[in-house]
Amino acid sequence: MLTRDLLRYKIRSRQIYPQFIEPTDRQLLTCAEQLIAVFEKSPNTPRATLLEASKQIIDGTPGAPIVKRGLEKLLLDRTEFDTAPNEALIAFRRRLFMETSRLLSEEQFQDYTDYQHRVSQITAGESQPEIASLVERESASKLYADLPSCQPILSFRTLSAERLLHRYNAAQVQGLLLHCNAVTLRLADAMTAELRQLFKYLRFNQLLSTIRKEEELYQITVDGPLNLFYKTKRYGMNLANFFIAVLHQTKWELTAEIQFRNRQRSRLSLDESCGIKPISQQFLAYIPEDIQLFQTMLHNKTDDWQIRPGSQFLPLAGDFYCFPDYQLLHESGVETAIELFHPWHQGHLIARINTLAEQQDASLILGVSRELEKKPLIADALASSAYFSKFGFTFRDVPTMRALLPILNSLV
Amino acid sequence: MSSPLKINFDKGTLILQDVPDELQTQLPDLRWDARTLAFRAPAYCYRDIVSHLRAHDISYQDTARQFTTGTFPLQKEILPYCYQTEAIDAWNANGRRGVVCLPTGAGKTFIAILLIADTQRPTLVHVPTIDLMHQWYDVLKEHFGREVGLYGGGYHELRDLTVTTYQSAVLHAPHYGNQFGFAIFDECHHLPGEQYQYAAISSIAPFRLGLTATPERVDGKESRLYELVGECCYEAKVQDLSGKMLSKYRVVTIAVEMEDTERVRYEEARHTYLGFLKTAKINMGTPRGWHLFLWKTSQTDEGREAFQAYLTQKQLSFASTTKQEWVWKLIQRHRGDRILIFTQDNDTAYRIGEQFFLPVLTHQTKVKERNAFLNGFRDGTYSILVTSKVLNEGVDVPEANVAIIVSGSGSVREHVQRLGRILRKRKGKQAVLYELVSKQTGEHFVNKRRRQHDAYRESKY
Repeated sequence: MLTRDLLRYKIRSRQIYPQFIEPTDRQLLTCAEQLIAVFEKSPNTPRATLLEASKQIIDGTPGAPIVKRGLEKLLLDRTEFDTAPNEALIAFRRRLFMETSRLLSEEQFQDYTDYQHRVSQITAGESQPEIASLVERESASKLYADLPSCQPILSFRTLSAERLLHRYNAAQVQGLLLHCNAVTLRLADAMTAELRQLFKYLRFNQLLSTIRKEEELYQITVDGPLNLFYKTKRYGMNLANFFIAVLHQTKWELTAEIQFRNRQRSRLSLDESCGIKPISQQFLAYIPEDIQLFQTMLHNKTDDWQIRPGSQFLPLAGDFYCFPDYQLLHESGVETAIELFHPWHQGHLIARINTLAEQQDASLILGVSRELEKKPLIADALASSAYFSKFGFTFRDVPTMRALLPILNSLV
Repeated sequence: MSSPLKINFDKGTLILQDVPDELQTQLPDLRWDARTLAFRAPAYCYRDIVSHLRAHDISYQDTARQFTTGTFPLQKEILPYCYQTEAIDAWNANGRRGVVCLPTGAGKTFIAILLIADTQRPTLVHVPTIDLMHQWYDVLKEHFGREVGLYGGGYHELRDLTVTTYQSAVLHAPHYGNQFGFAIFDECHHLPGEQYQYAAISSIAPFRLGLTATPERVDGKESRLYELVGECCYEAKVQDLSGKMLSKYRVVTIAVEMEDTERVRYEEARHTYLGFLKTAKINMGTPRGWHLFLWKTSQTDEGREAFQAYLTQKQLSFASTTKQEWVWKLIQRHRGDRILIFTQDNDTAYRIGEQFFLPVLTHQTKVKERNAFLNGFRDGTYSILVTSKVLNEGVDVPEANVAIIVSGSGSVREHVQRLGRILRKRKGKQAVLYELVSKQTGEHFVNKRRRQHDAYRESKY
């Protein structure tokens, strides 16, 4: 991600405009290619050498330095350094400092040169000559040669120049979202399986959402539990990470209030026309293992029901919506959906039980982890929920057909 | 019969269910959360909510609280000084909440230990640095003779007595904020920070203790500290305890001339730097000044030259050749003493370390070597330790009696804390703090700013 000093934006009339780069810009692509080439060659060289080579490219190519430093930062984020301690050097320092401490406490010196000479005499007997030489004036700067600037590079995860430029644009937005307290998304009605990924990111990042339907659009407000009380940027990192999933949507609008320290609030408005390509893997064609297992188990027990991953919003009572994990279709045309609640979904489950208290039909079946059920509040809520007693079940690791089939059969 | 009110902990907040209508406006900070269709309050309101329910004899079901009382007997007897007893009494009288302000070296940790034993609640100690986390770990283990949990710096173990960093607590309090009845915030002036405050907000701990030598903050947010932890319930100043509970001390400021060649380079660099500020209309005295400077210098070649000039003039005033000569003189003058050398930045610290072959402690020092340096300094194996900022706060080096400030910021707190490193009382100890200040440089004004504290009243030039 980009740090504050590497962000490029303009503020006009309380509206903040990220200064995106053009991913097909020939000059920038050349610079990105050169930087990537330097990083690709970097394994086994020290960090300082890499940064020096990188600096030469930044200084020597046309274009805004701040952009090139941003590209460098994103490449550094993909670089792994060897941070293991240099035991031989640490052991030498221990011996050396014991001696210098004794000398400085007990002996008198004519001047600094006299002191340096005495230190040299003491370390002359070092078994490793390259270490003994560290006390000589010209080598003394290597006494701490295991500092981060000297750490060798272990590996670098490469990418194409074009992808780096797209990643840079995404990082500009993420860098701004670090300074916001909530994000509002508007998604077009034509829902696809990409939403599944969006809601997985949402839950994974411990965020809460409110979903409302406005004509043909779904408006999703995303923030965290404490936003109810504070305009906090506590969830900025979660929201910045969540943005990765937004990029997978085909038609989207995002708004957020950005506030830097000691600055007025500004509004960020973006939509898919910003042209940033997704920067993470998309698994639309991939059927997750749990779904495959679920499909097989269901198929082994009955041919009447077909199961598929959740792919569209489900309207609930009181103008609320949820995005279920699975959707099921009976050969008679009866449809239902399943939403699973794992141990970390306590708040979500409470909300869902409260919403379903007024639900008349069985459009959503609730599956609750037994770990979650152990919590007294949840146990109490489940026991007192008439809806759950009819359309809910518990599971240990994965839902079982034994628990689910009786509920499904009651619907047809 | 209606269901009793239920209180549950959820990600650093409380969820309240079945709240009677008349209570919905009476309970502190309670709000309807349309996202989850339940009432919600910040976790730190737990004590006030429960107190209200008890006071009005309202039955409730509490599944938020995941701790019970326990016994924490001391393995070693502690005989508190009278001011420590006064502080303990004041904290108890304040409803077992509040901030205790005592100078460094006055035994704040012992007060905390006595209070843990007294309150009998699982306790989470928050500290700002990894070094302090390990120091608290050792002290708690020694005094309570039981395993102590660590959370942060690669450790993820919760126990009835646990030490965590503020940074780690911000991330993880939403998960474990209901498991401790007593929260201690060491160096609690950090707590009102934009992010750190959520360590206290996300915890239900009814008993809270803040410890600091200097609660004042530049941004004036100490009032937030008192909201989250409790009022300042006890305070003693460094002069009150000097010579009695703390060592006697003196502060000596040495005005250092730069060498001619360095002076010329300094003036040139300063001219370039100030010229850029003027052209770019940047006022470094404003809160946005520094960010604006960073941003504007990154835009053009002229800007980058100005940034380089800024670094050069700063480096020359922080670590001129004459300053290094003074360091050598002072090391020689204090043969046999235990000396701490402080710098503003890591580069200067390492340069001094390399020049005089001395151990250097910065945040870049690996844990094993860091412990070896600190222990070596305490037991006398090493008589001198060079450091930038990691020893500014809390870390206990009672044997130190001489401090040399080669360079520092304009922060009053930083300076007072550095002085505090050498004040821990030892028989016959006379502490000396030397400040090396480059004449006719920006450092002169920085020095003037940081001396606005009572502790410097008797300093000598």
